[in-house]
Amino acid sequence: MIMNELDCTACQMLVHGYLDKELDTVMAARVAGHLAVCANCARLHDQARRLKVSVKRHAPYYSAPVSLTANLFAPVAPQTRAVERWRKWFAPVFSATALALAVMLYVVTPASEQPLMDEAVSSHVRSLMGEHLNDVVSSDRHTVKPWFTGKLDFSPPVFDYSAQGFPLLGGRLDYLQHQTTAALSYGRAKHIINVFILPTQEADKPLQSQMVRGFNVVFWQENHMQFVLVSDLEKSELEAFSQLLKNGA
Amino acid sequence: MKRFEDLFAPHMDAAYNLARWLTGNDSAARDVVQESALRAFRFLHRFTDGNAKAWFLTIVRNESYTWLKASAGHHWVAIGDELPEDDAALSHGQTPELLAIHTENAMLVQQALCALPPIFREVIILKELEDMPYKDIALVADIPIGTVMSRLARARAMLKLELLKLHDHE
Repeated sequence: MIMNELDCTACQMLVHGYLDKELDTVMAARVAGHLAVCANCARLHDQARRLKVSVKRHAPYYSAPVSLTANLFAPVAPQTRAVERWRKWFAPVFSATALALAVMLYVVTPASEQPLMDEAVSSHVRSLMGEHLNDVVSSDRHTVKPWFTGKLDFSPPVFDYSAQGFPLLGGRLDYLQHQTTAALSYGRAKHIINVFILPTQEADKPLQSQMVRGFNVVFWQENHMQFVLVSDLEKSELEAFSQLLKNGA
Repeated sequence: MKRFEDLFAPHMDAAYNLARWLTGNDSAARDVVQESALRAFRFLHRFTDGNAKAWFLTIVRNESYTWLKASAGHHWVAIGDELPEDDAALSHGQTPELLAIHTENAMLVQQALCALPPIFREVIILKELEDMPYKDIALVADIPIGTVMSRLARARAMLKLELLKLHDHE
């Protein structure tokens, strides 16, 4: 019987496997034997059991919101014949729903812009890490805009949106895609929005948003300028702000 | 095609629950689950067979940590593995009456769980709320199966301390 004895240290660990029914019968018997004779371990066993029950009973279980599952596994909309034929072709490869998901997350952002988005997000994170959010700190666009003159070979639109709840905090020079970039920062409650503006030769592109490494990113091209907005702000708010910028610009 | 839906649709609650507990907010958890579903879809060919739930939750867990790190920025959140060992916590056994009272207080239980570092919070969620066996927890939490019991032992000891601490502050 000596060989079957457990010391308290071992027991206080094993008691968890015992409670979770993860021990084999021999080990479970040894733990039970020790608990029967050791008041201290028995008390700890009792507390651990109480904790288990308490978490099961009181910790909320967060079920997936219906809108989320509906998004991912959307029932297919009423089908026309063409769609039916199309599905026949593709059904073996993609379900329509999975395709919808893939389309939503892939195609919305053409690959060519992906490096820019990634860089913008990295720059956004860096700007928050150091004390280098702004080179010129001002909520006055007549201070910020002239500051860029001579530093850039294009003229970024600079406006203050305090009245709409997005005050201009300032501006700085950044460097994205091997180009000097204007970075404006705006506030929204406690969130910071970085607006990157850089010149491009390409034609206009409509507004699109996506998530990159947990940040919301909105992108568009207009008047030979690329706009990239990055923030931890909610997607809808960031998009609303983007509309403001688009119209103000 | 259907395979993706058949495999993962049944585990959306578990996915969202884990992401919600790890990130601590609804919109992040939604994003994490969406991103995880996309990844699962892209890497479906790597899933031969076995435990779809554990496989999917592994992705959800990784995405949750990616989010935690990104959102922390310079306010780096301790993931938990760098905490010093605290053996006192394991044998700390005072005030059993207070503990008994606090384990019945849903709000305190939730608060105490949220105060745990993620690597300890997650094993408790996977064990008590998902009722997963140790071998699946090992997969999801990316630790050897032999470590699951000690991780849970520490997690429960810390949870107990948090519950008692909360009382002290009332």
